[in-house]
Amino acid sequence: MNTTIEETLTSLESRFELKDIKQQRGDLVFVTVKKEQLISLLTHMRDNENFTHFVMLSVVDWIEDGVFQLSYILNNPEKHVDIVFRCMIERENASMESAHHLWKQVATYQRELYEMYGIDFPGSPRVHESFILEGWDDIPPMRREFDTKKYSEDTYFPRPGRESKDPKEHMKNKLYPDADK
Amino acid sequence: MIKLKDILSPFTAWNNVFKAPVTIKDPLNREAAPRYRGFHFNDIEKCIGCGACSMICENEAIDMVEVATVETTDGDSGLRPRVDYGRCCWCALCVDVCSTESLTMTNEFKWVSEDPEDFRYIPGIDEKPWDNRTEGWKKPAPNYEFNQLERVNMEMLGPEERSDSFVEIVQGYSKEQAEKEADRCIDCGLCVATCPAHMGIPEYIKTVRNENLEEGLRIMYETNPLPEICGRICTHKCETVCAMGHRGEPLSIRWLKRYIADQNPAEEYQRILHSNDIDTNDKKVAIIGSGASGLSTAYYLRVLGYQVKIFEEFEAAGGMMRYGIPSYRLPYDQIDKDVNYILSLGVEIQYNTKVGKDITLEELHEEYDAVFSGTGMHAGRSTKIPGSDHKHNYMAAGLLNKITKGEEIHVAKEIIVIGGGNVAMDITRSLARLQNQKYGEINILTTSLESEDIMPADREEVVEAREEGATIDPGWGPQEIIIEDDEIKGLRVQRCTRVFDEEGRFNPKFDEKDEKIFKGDMVVEAIGQGADFSYLKGELKDQLAFNQRGRLEVNEYFQSSIPWLFFGGDIIQGPDVIHGIANGHKAARGIDKYLQANT
Amino acid sequence: MQTSNLINWQPDRSKFPDQLADGSFKVDLSSGKYVKIWHGPNHPGVTGNMSLELTLCGDEVMDAKTHVGYLHRGFEKLFERRKFIQCFPTVIRMCVAEPDYNEYNYAAAIEELSGIKIPEAAKWLRMLALEMSRLQTLLRIVPGQGGTTGLGIGVQWGVYLRDLILDRFEELTGGRIYHMYMLPGGVRGLLPDGFRKRMEENLKEIDDFVQRIDRVQYQNAVFKKRTKGIAVIPPEWVDQYGITGPNARAAGFNRDVRKDYPYLNYDQLDFEVNTDNFSDIYNRSRLRWRDLQQTVDLIRQIMDKIPDKGDFKAKTPNVLHWKIEKGETYIRSESSRGEYGYYVVSDGSEYPRRINLRGPSYIHAVSLLERLLKGANIADIGAIMVSLQSCPPEIER
Repeated sequence: MNTTIEETLTSLESRFELKDIKQQRGDLVFVTVKKEQLISLLTHMRDNENFTHFVMLSVVDWIEDGVFQLSYILNNPEKHVDIVFRCMIERENASMESAHHLWKQVATYQRELYEMYGIDFPGSPRVHESFILEGWDDIPPMRREFDTKKYSEDTYFPRPGRESKDPKEHMKNKLYPDADK
Repeated sequence: MIKLKDILSPFTAWNNVFKAPVTIKDPLNREAAPRYRGFHFNDIEKCIGCGACSMICENEAIDMVEVATVETTDGDSGLRPRVDYGRCCWCALCVDVCSTESLTMTNEFKWVSEDPEDFRYIPGIDEKPWDNRTEGWKKPAPNYEFNQLERVNMEMLGPEERSDSFVEIVQGYSKEQAEKEADRCIDCGLCVATCPAHMGIPEYIKTVRNENLEEGLRIMYETNPLPEICGRICTHKCETVCAMGHRGEPLSIRWLKRYIADQNPAEEYQRILHSNDIDTNDKKVAIIGSGASGLSTAYYLRVLGYQVKIFEEFEAAGGMMRYGIPSYRLPYDQIDKDVNYILSLGVEIQYNTKVGKDITLEELHEEYDAVFSGTGMHAGRSTKIPGSDHKHNYMAAGLLNKITKGEEIHVAKEIIVIGGGNVAMDITRSLARLQNQKYGEINILTTSLESEDIMPADREEVVEAREEGATIDPGWGPQEIIIEDDEIKGLRVQRCTRVFDEEGRFNPKFDEKDEKIFKGDMVVEAIGQGADFSYLKGELKDQLAFNQRGRLEVNEYFQSSIPWLFFGGDIIQGPDVIHGIANGHKAARGIDKYLQANT
Repeated sequence: MQTSNLINWQPDRSKFPDQLADGSFKVDLSSGKYVKIWHGPNHPGVTGNMSLELTLCGDEVMDAKTHVGYLHRGFEKLFERRKFIQCFPTVIRMCVAEPDYNEYNYAAAIEELSGIKIPEAAKWLRMLALEMSRLQTLLRIVPGQGGTTGLGIGVQWGVYLRDLILDRFEELTGGRIYHMYMLPGGVRGLLPDGFRKRMEENLKEIDDFVQRIDRVQYQNAVFKKRTKGIAVIPPEWVDQYGITGPNARAAGFNRDVRKDYPYLNYDQLDFEVNTDNFSDIYNRSRLRWRDLQQTVDLIRQIMDKIPDKGDFKAKTPNVLHWKIEKGETYIRSESSRGEYGYYVVSDGSEYPRRINLRGPSYIHAVSLLERLLKGANIADIGAIMVSLQSCPPEIER
């Protein structure tokens, strides 16, 4: 493991609870942290560990486990290493402390996550203003339970004349239609 | 402060006044690059309608549709791709994944039409101006393959190790190998129509990929109750039409079937197949012979609740699978695994009982509601050439039977086998092993009427026989067994110039000038076997209909003209195991229908 | 009014509200002094399909809100319902102007997660395609900056030269805009015969263009007047906002993914990262002009090193049911706009669990643009947006 990452993680371990440390590359590590500690951890990373570049905030919907995985990707631009902090939050009434005060662009990510996944970030500027989906009246569409295909079938109409045959079924109908009789 | 230079400098743009324009003079007739991904073209002759293009298309732009000019046949679904340019994104993944390389994209990119429906067309069928273009996107080469063209090698005993023992040659796939081989399948399902039993091949291969072998076993038993046996000795016609076989090696469907069966332990079968409590009804069915068709009928009748009893001539079940196929191809314990499962469901079997001798068909009819007969073809046919009545001229079927039973047989130092099918290979390789055990050397020659390219034996059988030390010299017609001092000295043969006549009938011709003598002191004939119908006697026989070629006539349910009497297996179709299984399955349905109708 | 006053025109600031420390203005909409207008989504002064909700006082912007969603196609959702190979022709659509970075990032992520090593030739060919992509983008954006100030001639030159590069793309990849060239495992073809010669001819024309555009655009009093000292990005904003690429480099930051996290074979190329010390419109554009020359040089270096023979695609499992091992990764590359990243998560199935794009414009054209527009003149909005090189499709995906 990269020495910067190692030192950073050692320094973090004394202050925060780190779980499931997974080294993906020499310069990229994934760490799971507790929801309550995340904001103070990010602040610490920015102010004391030189992870000043906030790369992105993403979310993964683990619907089967009933959790959202928030992934905060932080970068140390001097040492060229990344640490991704994973934070598992309840899927039901999902809510997370806002980090908009730490980096200016975070508010945009949080606004998008509220719109696309229904994750609330209380206090984040304009977080409830629609970002991309003005006039959307269905559930947040990036949630796994939202079925795009069904939505499109209900909303739009198919082009007539499209019909495809399965080779196996077609051969059965043509060559041995009585097999199951 | 503004510099004068900054005011004058932009005027250098006026230089361009004296330059020639760079505009393309005739943009409408600009030819696109040779790799351009333009409109599709499909070589209809090459295409097999496997639908891989339709599967990979992320926009669902490709439909598989029926076209008038292409017929649905073995290995060709008769469907052809139709592209919807309202959805196509010109990625050419369909071209790259095409299993036969029939689909390409031309470098034409201009097409004007007022009717939007025009832009949905069947490449290669609907004539287009670009059909004859040679330039355009083709699958990149070399070493760029979406399909896996090479088989995962099957571990086999080497010729040295196997040529003196009857231990099973094929070792079977490991988990990793099986999954890799299963990964090659493109799920087109062209093989299903060709398989006589129409097994759910892509479905059970998928269970190998998804590590769900119990589901795989369930899928196999839907159409085939002998997977261990079929997984070893099936003639695997399915593999001849595999889409991967067009440019590479077909999938090892047979070995994957065997893998699934091998991985499921016999004691778990009842749990996996949900067969521990079958509701038994009061109808009884007798089955003559415990070969593939008999076992298959018994299984499918039993799962429907019928009381089934099999009458078997020999002391063990399996028929030709046990008494015809050498154990290096099909070990006896694997036959037992399949058979014992069927017996465990409550199917009874009575050994050492020959119908027609120990019990008559009439007696069966009295006691049972229906009878299925799958008595097979055990009687060896002879060439009847001069000398074929010599005591050291044998029939392959009889020898193989004796080898299974462990009886001593005559093994000469120099043996000649006549025949080009799998039975010929079986006896050749069995005798080679015995020669090797007895004399420490192999001296066996096999000859057939058919030349090498049309020999009916499986290719790998021929190759393996040669590896083991046998000589295969095909394309000769036997004329006479040479006998001197009451001992066989050899076989005189003439070059066979044709086997079948123009109408496809068996009508061999020989070149008398091209003659030679194979040396040997024992001859084995393996040119085919016939059925023994001696159990059909008297009134019953008179009621049965036979066709002109002497075969029993049965309907699609293998029901004879005597409604309670069904026939199947080698005596009707084949000879091979998988047809027997398919017949048995269908006959079971027919018996069910017959018995349901008569209650 | 005298001519010199026109050039050094100073408006009467007493009519305008005071700008607060965070850049915002205290605006009382009911006073009747302000007007709200929509700038875009169809507007020649806006890059792509996005729109700005402006609150104006006279011709000065008091407040700006970006509105996106005019070309949201839900790609990230679609990926979750497509097999891994089927995502390959779709990822590119997340950025029309420079699609190749999507191809590369996606392919690299899949290769990393499944442990595939790509052949050497594929690495060089990928670099060629990436740099050609940068070149064609810069050929639009460099003269495009002049276009926003009414200088149209450079745009005409740029469009012509960009078309030549698209011709080269056409022969290399089979497509002009969406190349679909770098698929997981490698690329889809070696260099065609004669490619180097034709490319070199194009590069010579571009060398000439570099000189001409310098004289016409960068040594141009009007252009300088319209761009110097406008929309300045102070260095301290770079990490506060997450600014990357030329926008950050013009502010003095020596940050380039190609140098800092060398991917493919970028460590074998000879180049220095272009930086400046004052990030206003002029310098940002000028830096892109230097990037353009560097890109031409890099393409020459790459073309010297591309093997003409050999494998260009690694063996992959059957793509029709390719399962990627459970895992997640973040892949970044240096696009012409800045750090382009892909966060890819696989749950071990045949379908991706999550593919999330980090586009530079997500920052540059939303939070940063909203900040930079405060106090800007309405006539400069086009120039500011082009100087940030904003690209709406990567905001909304």
